[in-house]
Order: sequence, then C-alpha cells, then structure tokens
Amino acid sequence: MDYSMEDTQNSAPDAQQASKLNSSGQKSDTQSVTKRLQAELMQLMLSPSPGISAFPDADGNLLSWTATITGPTETPYEGLTLKLSFAFPNNYPYSPPTVLFKTPIYHPNVDFSGRICLDILKDKWSAVYNVSSVLLSLQSLLGEPNNASPLNAQAAELWDSDQAEFKRHVLARHQDLDDE
Amino acid sequence: MLSTVPLNVGRRRVCGSVFSPASLEAHPKSISDFRREQTPVASFQSSDSSSTFKADSQSTSFATIGGSTDTTSPEEDTLNQARQAAKEFLSVPNLGFELLYNFRNTDGSQVLKEWNRLSPPSKETAEALEYLMRTSPWTLFECQFSDWAIQGMDAVRRLNLLLKSPGEEGLLRTIVDCLQLARRIYLAPVVHYLLPLITTPHQGGFLAQLQRAFHTVVQYSLPWKKISPLLARELTQDAVVILGIDTLDEDSDADIMSLDGTEMERAYSVSYKDWKQGSPEVRAHMMVDGEDGRVTIARDRLLAFLNGLQLVGLGGDQAQKVFANVMNIMMGDFIRAAYAGEWESPSTVPQHLEQWIENVYARLVVHVLAIINSDPAGAQSGAMEVSLRDVEKWQVMGIARLGKLRVSELFDVIVDWPASSGAVEDLRRFTNNSSGARLYATNIFSVNLLQRLLHPGASTVEILQVYISIIRAFHILDPKGVLLDRIARPIRRYLRDREDTVKVIVSGLLADPATAEGPTATGDTLAELAAELTKVHHHSMQNNRSELDYDDLYWVPDPVDAAPDYKKSKSADVIDSLVSLFDSKETFVKEMQTLLADRLIQKRQNYDQEVTVLELLKVRFGDSALQACEVMLKDISDSRRLDLTVRNDQMLSGYRKQAGAGKLHAKVLSRFFWPEFQEQEFKVPDEITKLQARYATCFERRKDSRKLMWRNALGQVTVELELQNHTFKDEVTTRQATVIYAFQSDSSEPATKTIPELADELEMSPTLVRSACLFWVSKRILTEVQRDTFRVLEFLPTEDEEHHAHAAGDFSDVSDSEAGDTANAAAAAEAAAAAAAKESAEAAAMEKMNVYWQFIVGMLTNQGPMALNRIVMMLKIAVPGGFPFSNEELREFLGGMVSKGKLEIVNGGNYKIVH
Repeated sequence: MDYSMEDTQNSAPDAQQASKLNSSGQKSDTQSVTKRLQAELMQLMLSPSPGISAFPDADGNLLSWTATITGPTETPYEGLTLKLSFAFPNNYPYSPPTVLFKTPIYHPNVDFSGRICLDILKDKWSAVYNVSSVLLSLQSLLGEPNNASPLNAQAAELWDSDQAEFKRHVLARHQDLDDE
Repeated sequence: MLSTVPLNVGRRRVCGSVFSPASLEAHPKSISDFRREQTPVASFQSSDSSSTFKADSQSTSFATIGGSTDTTSPEEDTLNQARQAAKEFLSVPNLGFELLYNFRNTDGSQVLKEWNRLSPPSKETAEALEYLMRTSPWTLFECQFSDWAIQGMDAVRRLNLLLKSPGEEGLLRTIVDCLQLARRIYLAPVVHYLLPLITTPHQGGFLAQLQRAFHTVVQYSLPWKKISPLLARELTQDAVVILGIDTLDEDSDADIMSLDGTEMERAYSVSYKDWKQGSPEVRAHMMVDGEDGRVTIARDRLLAFLNGLQLVGLGGDQAQKVFANVMNIMMGDFIRAAYAGEWESPSTVPQHLEQWIENVYARLVVHVLAIINSDPAGAQSGAMEVSLRDVEKWQVMGIARLGKLRVSELFDVIVDWPASSGAVEDLRRFTNNSSGARLYATNIFSVNLLQRLLHPGASTVEILQVYISIIRAFHILDPKGVLLDRIARPIRRYLRDREDTVKVIVSGLLADPATAEGPTATGDTLAELAAELTKVHHHSMQNNRSELDYDDLYWVPDPVDAAPDYKKSKSADVIDSLVSLFDSKETFVKEMQTLLADRLIQKRQNYDQEVTVLELLKVRFGDSALQACEVMLKDISDSRRLDLTVRNDQMLSGYRKQAGAGKLHAKVLSRFFWPEFQEQEFKVPDEITKLQARYATCFERRKDSRKLMWRNALGQVTVELELQNHTFKDEVTTRQATVIYAFQSDSSEPATKTIPELADELEMSPTLVRSACLFWVSKRILTEVQRDTFRVLEFLPTEDEEHHAHAAGDFSDVSDSEAGDTANAAAAAEAAAAAAAKESAEAAAMEKMNVYWQFIVGMLTNQGPMALNRIVMMLKIAVPGGFPFSNEELREFLGGMVSKGKLEIVNGGNYKIVH
C-alpha cells in the first residue's frame, strides 16, 4: 500500500498554507470566523449530542479546539474516550478544519500520527458542516470504517477478517491522554 | 535684574571713555563711593524700558562730576567746608515715622514748618550752596541723596512694618500718602533754594535726577512683591465699580426683590438685560450717557490715587503689569456676571460685550494708562497709549472669554434646550474663530458630560433626552457635524452599554405623539421620539442628498479637524443617530418586536398608531428588516377577520345556543415571527377549553394544515361577578379570571379555597395564584381569612360594619386582615406579582446557569481538569456576551455540583468531571 499517496491526500499542511494565503489582507475574516465558532460552540452547548463534546483551547482566539468522542456502543471502541484536535483556518468555514486524533487509535482510516482520511474533511468539505457534524461523522466512522481507502491497511484487513483481533489491537494501542 | 549686568558694563565703558585710567587711580575713593551709591540707580533703570533719556542725562552728569573732581583737587578744603554747611542745611531732621503717618493727609506745609524746612538758609550757608552749585552740583545731590538713603529708608522701613499686616483696608493709600508727604518734605528746600541757583536749562534735569533718586529709595525699600497684591486690591475695588460689575451682582439680587413693582429707573447701565430691552438708539447711548455718581466718584478716587502712586515712584511698568492683571480678571468677572445664564435667542450678547469694551473698559484703560506711565516724558506729553487696534484686540479677547463661559455652561444650556439657543449662537461665534476653540469646547464638554451625565445615577431616558438636545444644539453650532461627531462618541459608547437603551428608544417611538406635544419630561418615555419620527420623515423626503451627489454645486470637503472615520450625517436626524447606536438593526428590530407584541396582544379597537410607526420605520430601514413586525401586524388584522368568520360559522352551525359560558375571541399569531413569550402557562376552566376546541375546529376548517396552540397566559377577560350585595365588572388578565372562576359555586355558602388547592387545580405556580388572589382582595371580591386561605366576600360590609371591624381589629387578627383596606391589598397584589416575576426570573437565571454548566462540562471534558480561575477565564472567552457571575458565585455553583457527584476536586484544587 502506498502510504505517501495517501499522505499527500491527507493534506493538512497544504490546507494551512492555503488558509494563510487566503487570510492575508482579510483581517475582518478573523472576526467572522470567531463569530461563527462562537455560534457553533453555543449550539454545541445548548444542544449537546451524546458521546461527543468539544471546547476551545485556552489560547483565547477560538481557532483551536479540543474535542472528545466516546466510542460508540457495539463497536471495538466501546467505552473508550478519544481526544481530537481541531485547528480552524482563518477562512473557516470555507475551508475545512484540520482534525487529528490525539489519542492513539487503531483504525483503518487513521494513521499512526492521528491523521484522518475522511472525505468531508477534504474535497467534500462544505460550509454547512460544523464541528458537531464533523464529530458525528467521525463517531460513525469508528463503527463503519471506509475500508476502500485505508490509511492503515493492516487494520482494514483485520477489520474484515478478525474482529476480535482487531479489538485487541484497538485496546492495545489505546491509551488515555487525560489527567496529565 | 538680569539686564543689570550689561547695563553696568555699558556704564563702565562710558566711564572708561570719560575718565582716563590715571584719574581713576588718583581718586579711587570718590569713584568707589560713586559706584556704590550708583548701584541702586542702575538697578532701577535696568527695569525701565525707556532708558535712553536717562542714560543721556546720566552720562552728562558723569562728565560733570568727572570733570570737576578731576580739576578741583587743590580746592578740596573749601569744598569740604561748603559741603559740610550744605549738608547741615539740607539734612532732614529725623522726627520719626509717626509724624509722617499722622500728617499724611495734610498738604505737608505744617510739617515742613515744624521741621524748619522752609526757613531760608543763613548767609554762609547760602554762599556755601552757591559755591557748591558752581563747582560741583553733584556734591549737593550726594548730600541730599545720602540723607534719603539713610533716613528715607528708615521711614520706608517703618512703612514696611505696615505691610506686614496687609489685612488693613486702604493700606496702600496710606503708604502712598505718607510717601507723598515725605517726598514733599525732602524736595521742599531743594525746590525753594537750590533750583534758583542752577541755570535754567539744567533745572529740569537736576530735579528729575532727584526725583529718580527718591523713587529708587522707595522702590528699593518697599518690596514690590508686597506692594503688588495691595495695588491689585485697590485697583480691583474701584474697577469693579467703574466697570459696573458690582451693579450686575446687585441686579441679580434686585431681580428677586423687585417683585413689588418698583422698577429702578436707571439711564446708565451696563446690564445686558436692561440693554436688551432698550431700542437700538437707547442701546447706543446707554453706556456713555448719564454715568452713575458712584462711578464718577470711584473713577476720581482711583485716578487721584494712581497719580500719587506715580509721583512717589510706585507707578510705571510694574504698576502697569498689575493693572493689566486686574483688568484681565475684571473682564472675566464682567462676562460672568453679565452673561451667565442669559441664553435667550436671538442673542445680542456679543454686540453688547463689544460695546461695553469700547465704551467702558477701554475708557478706564485710557485714563489709567495716561497716569501710570512708564515713561515720565510720555506722561507729560499725554501720548495716546491705547490705540484702536488694542480695543479691537480686547473685543476679540472678550468674545473668546464669552465663548469660554458658554463652554462651561454648555451642559446646562443643552439641558435647557431649546430655551437656550441664544447661548449656542454665542458659542458658534466663538468656535468659528479658531479650531483651537472647537477643540477646547468639545474637550470641556466631554469632561462635563462624563461627570454629570454618563454615570449610573442618570436614567437612560435622561441621557437620551440630553443626547437629543445635543444633536439639535450642535447641529446649529456646527452644521458640518464634526463637533457633534466628537462629542457623541462617548455618549454613544455609554448608551450602547446600557441594557435598557433599546427599550427606551423603541417605546419612545411607539408612544402616542399626542402626549408628546405637552411637556416632554414625562419621566419614563421619550414620547418626543414619536413626534420626531413623523416630523423628520417629511424632511428626509425633501432633501435626500447623498454624499455622492455630483450635481451638488455647494459641496465642500470635510472640515480639517474631522475624525478619519467621520461621516457627515444627513441632517440633525435624531432617530437615525439613535438607531445607529447599535451595530445592526437586528437588536433594534428585535426589541421593536417584543414591544410591538406586548401592545398588539392587548385588546384595543385599532392599532393605527403601531401601523403608522411601522410604516415610518419601514421608510428608514427598508421592508425586509421589519418583516417580522409587518407579519405581526398582519396577523392581528387577519385574525380579526378570521375571528368574525369563525364566529359566523359557529352561529350557523348552532353552537351558540350551547355556548353559554361566554364569548371567545382569538388572535392568531404566526409563531415564527413573534417573539418568545415568557408567560407561565396554566389550566383554563373547562368551559373555556371547550370553547377553544370548538374555535379550533372552525379555524382548521378554514385554514387547512394549520393548528392552533392556545397561549392561555396572554389575553384579557371581561369578568362579570354577581355577589350577594355587590357586583363587579372589569377587564382582567386571564390568570386573574381563572383564579376567580375557581371560586364560583352554586351553593349559598361563600367558597373558600387555599393557595395549594388552587395551585393544584389550576396547574399554576403558587406565587402566581397568590398574586391573583391578592388582586381580587384589592377589588373586595375575596378576603384572606387566614394566611393563604381566601374566601369570597359575598357581603360587602357597610361602612358601619367596617368601623366596627376596625374597632374589633384591635383584638383579633382575623378581623384585622378582613378589615385590611383595599389599598394594602392592592399593594400586596403587586408585590406578589413582583414575586412571581422574580420567580420566573430566577428560573430563567437557573436556565442560564444550566447553559454555563454545559460550557463547564464541555471545557472539563475536553481540556482536562481545571482550576476555578481558569474556568472563569475560559467562560469569559467562550460564552457569547460574557460570564456575568463572580468567582465566588461560580465556586458555590461548582461546589453544588461536587456535592451532587457530577464533579470532583482532584489534586491542586482542580475540578474534574466525573464520568
């Protein structure tokens, strides 16, 4: 399996660069991004969905968040707490946020540095998506990996062949980041 | 004194050119003597601006001295003898200061006699004098001078002692009188016996020399620092009278007292009020003709005094400085006394001021300056010291002062607007003069505003009222709007922070303009705005000029002192300014909706007022912004039509016969466009529910796919109550009606219910039930037999019974509460309603805290355990609109959550979420 191909597809650095280019000379954009993120946060707080949660980091500009997904029941991730980082570009929501798993996770569509292969975070991104929809997508991705384009080929194989072994891998790789 | 050094140098040079170096060595003593004596003269002259004349005379006398001393050394003995004789004759017997002081008011001849100053000199003395005069007049001068230097100084030092008690009235006058006497005493023998000996051309010079010497002594020994405040006081005292400032002060008192009708007839007056009432011809003469006797006396007194001052050498430059100072203060005083609070329009204050300066002020200055002249020669020639240009300059200064006064008054002027437009006219003249004045005016006014208006003590209505006045006043002051722009910024910022600003503005707009015609200061509404809305509308239709009107031939660029983001406002459009307070129209429209909702729900014949306001606002904001309001109005008019139809249907289908309970009218609101209603719901009587159901079926038949949701808490009920001996009919809220309906019974026994019962029955909160019950108590329908238990008051007690009850009230609590007067009950009902409102507010606050709890949960879940401070900080960043609670309140709240087991406190006091 050609990982480098996938790496370019998982274009986190590129996205950031693009956002930088876009943001130059558009100071007022930051304002609208903040506004939008604040609204999203409010929405998340007022109508929380079970199993997902997100909150801005303490740096104060709202452009980086930490999110938490609880592993869905009846999946190998059941009962696990998974942390993610969100980095919003300056032209959000016109570009997708960069989302990474912080918690080590064993999953067909996530590589070992936490990068995620999910179409809505790449070319299928649309401004109607938001933090909560991204988190819900990721939550469902945990239960239904897209084995057609795996980042972790072994995991993809294992998922199809041996669920018990897969779960063992998941648990072996998982470690709680919390409570440092 | 700084200039002393170069002058001394200059003199040394003169000496050098006159004396040969050898002669200097030959008579070192006399020269050094001379120099010592001369020093004070030098210092005196250094402060004198017109020294050319003196310098000339000085150098000539040097030459004489130099020449004589140089050539007469062989005759030294004769000279010494003569000098001795002269000295004896000329010496002043030191009879003491007391004498001087006692005789200060006489012409001095008596004293002179006493001191033997008028007796002619003996023959030998006369010869000696003549000899001296011939050989060396300077020696004589020296004799005289040294005497003065010693004795004069002594006398003056005594005067100095007087200075130490400066509280005394007219002290300076006394001093000047004394000095004048002294001067006469000292100069008398000289004038009488020496002057004839001198050749006429030198006489003047010699006398001047002596005078100057006298002045030097006086000036040297009387410290100017002490004299100047005294002089200033003297000058002020008379100037106040001459300039008419004292009468102005009296006037304000007299105005209060002259209610008895005895109007003081005064042809001469500097008062602005008198002046204004006069015709133009009278105005022109008012300050010139028929001067008051007091003024004349004061002027004569002052001028005589200044004459004396000048004679004894206390006049001149320094006195002029003091005078200038005094006049400076006088101008300020006059302007304050004459024009403070004179704000009527049209304002003629500047003209009056200019006339006053020309006729009164300048006149005094001319008189005074003619006397205290720095240049003795000039004083004699009577040269005009005051040019017309000076007068003009003073007029400009006067206007500037007036502006300053107006600026300091500006806040009160604005508050009094529009009765005070004259003051703004004055100010306009001032601010048009210079841009510095504009800056000054705005700065001072801003400070005033901050101190007097923009504080929590002022109500929003007041602030808005003043802001409106400011807009109007500054529009006149500066049509370009730059000043307004500058002033308005802090106000606008402050108003934005006030929570009820929108509410006040919107309710003002919706107020009935008919009431606005009356006194606008009704307190809690800005009814003025409603009137303004219709008024300005006409304007804006007429001159709708935009900034980019290329056909505008009168276009001018923005003023230089405009702020970078200054935007010219179209007109003094008050509404625009107020509405633009908020970033978006949304806030405004939202508040508009809420208020409109309140008003529309009320039962009224028509809503023309609301419709008009809305139409007018639509012209401003455009249709789309006010769409929701539009829908609301349409809902109301639609539902009226619908109501009619539904009722017709009901009638046709024969429902009416069964529907005995009452008539039901409904207003159908489109929920999406109406604001959320906070009212607490409850259960209405079954009869009403039935009616509602029937109404709903009719409605649904008319309007497919629509469903009615009843908002029972909103609405009015016309209640008719029939009790045993009284009836009641009025419009009440549905809540009150429901409560009283629950008391309905067929039995003859008055129904009795407790609050918990009612609350259960009606599914209403006990506070609300209590509030409604108390309302009925206030209407004398219910009575509270004991706490929280109410009974229907079937029999209204007659007055006798009431008295009886009052009497009995002393003994029994029950009858006391029964007799409790209705006013109390009404108050109680209100209090209960307030309590209910508070309850719902608390519930809302709890609701809010729930939101914050979500934030906290989200924060602690994602960011790990956190300390309290960090949580507060994050909440402040993350929660839109900020976090209103203090650290302590949050600590308490989190403590509650810890005890509920939702949180735990981990190491270091960090809060951690419990999974």
